[in-house]
Amino acid sequence: MIRRCRSPLAGLLIALLGLAAPAGAATPLVVEAALDREVVTPLLDAFRAAHPDIALEFRDRSTLEVDERVVDDGPAPDVVISSAMPWQMARVNEGHARRLDSAEARQWPEWAKWRDEVFGFTFEPIVMAYRLDLSRRMLPPQTHADLHTLLTTEREALAGKVTTYSPLGSGVGYTLFQQDARYTPRFWDLVAGMGRVDAHLENNTRAMLKGISDGRYWLGYNLLGSYAMVWAQEHPEVIVQVPQDYALVLMRMAFVHRDAPHPAAAEAFVDFLLSHAGQRVLAGETPLFSVRPDVIGPYTAARLRDQVGERLYPIPLNASLLAFVDPQRRDAFLARWRREFRRDD
Amino acid sequence: MIEVSGSLKRRLAVWLLVTVSGLGALLMVEAWWSAHRAAQRAYDSQLEAAALTIAEAVQWQQGEPVVEIPAAALQILATRHQERVFYAVLDADGEAVSTNMPFAISPSWRERAAHAPRALTTEFDGTSWRLYGREYDSAGWVSQEPVQIWVGHTREGRLALADELFERTVSRFVAMVLLAGVLMAMALRVALGPMRRLRRQLRAREADDMRPLDARVPEEMRELAQTLDHLFARQRQSREALLRFTADASHQLKTPLAGLQSVSELALKSPEPADWHAALGAVHEGAARTSRLAGQLLSLGRLRHVEEAGEVAPLDLAALLRETLLDWAGREAARYHDLGLDELPAGPSYVRAEAWALRELLGNLIDNALRYTPPGSTITLGLTGDAETLTLYVEDDGPGVPAEARERLLQPFERGGRQDTDGSGLGLAIVDSIARRFDGRLSLAERSPHGLAVRLHLPRCAEEETP
Repeated sequence: MIRRCRSPLAGLLIALLGLAAPAGAATPLVVEAALDREVVTPLLDAFRAAHPDIALEFRDRSTLEVDERVVDDGPAPDVVISSAMPWQMARVNEGHARRLDSAEARQWPEWAKWRDEVFGFTFEPIVMAYRLDLSRRMLPPQTHADLHTLLTTEREALAGKVTTYSPLGSGVGYTLFQQDARYTPRFWDLVAGMGRVDAHLENNTRAMLKGISDGRYWLGYNLLGSYAMVWAQEHPEVIVQVPQDYALVLMRMAFVHRDAPHPAAAEAFVDFLLSHAGQRVLAGETPLFSVRPDVIGPYTAARLRDQVGERLYPIPLNASLLAFVDPQRRDAFLARWRREFRRDD
Repeated sequence: MIEVSGSLKRRLAVWLLVTVSGLGALLMVEAWWSAHRAAQRAYDSQLEAAALTIAEAVQWQQGEPVVEIPAAALQILATRHQERVFYAVLDADGEAVSTNMPFAISPSWRERAAHAPRALTTEFDGTSWRLYGREYDSAGWVSQEPVQIWVGHTREGRLALADELFERTVSRFVAMVLLAGVLMAMALRVALGPMRRLRRQLRAREADDMRPLDARVPEEMRELAQTLDHLFARQRQSREALLRFTADASHQLKTPLAGLQSVSELALKSPEPADWHAALGAVHEGAARTSRLAGQLLSLGRLRHVEEAGEVAPLDLAALLRETLLDWAGREAARYHDLGLDELPAGPSYVRAEAWALRELLGNLIDNALRYTPPGSTITLGLTGDAETLTLYVEDDGPGVPAEARERLLQPFERGGRQDTDGSGLGLAIVDSIARRFDGRLSLAERSPHGLAVRLHLPRCAEEETP
């Protein structure tokens, strides 16, 4: 009961302080995020407008850097956001997260949160992207099976023209491949196929998209749909394809750090991410897709479902993610990946 | 004097409350423990299942155990309460093959888990953990060594489940107590029903209604009802005795009065002064007799209905006896009889009694003896005694009284079947009343060859007690 009362009270206190104190005395708030600043800017602006008393400092880093910042010796960040779901989950499991006790947190869908400590606040489909050139030469792939067929039948044409995530260099890529492998053993044939065409392994979606736009690549596999869709709007030569058999969905996970120097501000930020206002910005002004069913906009989970049907498979946000970061399992997976990638047949 | 101390209902309620709260406290402690035990068992089996799932994934490669942690095992560990989960796969030397535990499994734990599966609760980083360790045999081509699997999770789910179980038990118990209380109150009402009925019946009774009770009572009230009935019966008897006495007394008084009336009537009709004189003499004699009768009735009534004598001083019975005999020996009535005194015992002979009453008693006995024995009879008074009692006796050698009539002699207006005297029949009744008054006992016995012995047994008392 007392705990429940705390955060509105704290909010009120902050509001009072914000009114009373001069602008310079605003509460600082450090957000460490693996999230492109240019994508998320509208959201940050909306937060700043809603909370003028909080001086938001948004640090955009890679997933691995963000993960390190959670445990390194420096002052702890207030909020941690990352799309490397297993690593986020591992940090929460280690007890680095603070439970968020607010109405928004309680109402958040069960499948998109864990222990009321970490919340999946975006709904980003994993897509394939290809260059228009490709469709002139061959039938573009619509499913994973199509892709496998193309890699086999158009081996010469696609040699060096395919790109995907590096499982070693990117936490997101590794997670996606792990999840792919959980669904079907034929995934390894796909890896072998990509190995045969000497697929280039990139560390982020942006690099893959650049490569496709530049003409270096014709086909990209397992790109973050959120970035790809925005890119495709500005680069007509890039076509985004949501796989028609199944499409993975990645969620950015946010938690308040246990040792957050400014817990009240941090809770206010995460609360904003989950709130109707925050999610509306997410749905309308960013391609990150809103999770909330009551939000309307071009980028919502509901709209995405309407467009691509019930073939969306969110990566489950639960303890099973922890298996992905188990060193032995990771080593075994990467070993197999390398073996399959180099398979000569 | 009726003193109301507490109420039965309240007493029952207090006892019930004490019992229920005592038992309840014990029950609650037990319920708390068993709730925790049940939660512990339920969740420990989850740990066991997770450990088994991980054990299934252990394989040997190049002489090294390798485990690909199954995601399902972690899901099982997390439970629906989303516990934080930890696991460790240890080789035979205690080296971690794979782990995400922030703390090491202590050698003593490993030692014990090597013998039997072991579950323990521990504290780390301010959080309470439940750990489960078990050793599994595993073998590869190169080496065959056991591995230990340790799994653990936070205890939030357990505590929540235990609380839930405990709360359910408590609410059930409280509901039961409330229900039992209501039922108890109702049962009490029903159980006290006979008491209320009896009370109403007694209250509705007429003042002179002495009939036995007509009520259905439970076993527990039987004694009370019987006592009441007994009381009613005694009251009835004493009332009847009183009515009979009154009727007898009126009858006794009526006879001499009627005699007076007829004598005076005859005299009034006669013109002869000599008749008047004779009638006056008869009237005088009759009035004296009636007056004596009334006096006897009065003393009987006084003896029977006057309150207890209370504390009375010790009285020397021998002296009283001697004195009374001397008094009577000089009277006209004793002229034709041999009135004598046996040798009195030496030593003190004290009883607790009032002198006037004993004098009356002795007088009655002597008077009776004089009246109901033919002239010339010997009447002997005497005193004997033992340590406890003194026995005063009056014996005569008259015709005696038949055994069957002797008991009735003590009733008022009873003359032992003799109509040849002008006695009132109250003498022995008065004697009996006096004897009872001083805790004494009267006995009538036959003398041989003929005659009657009346004995009065009185408890002896010490002279020193004289204040």
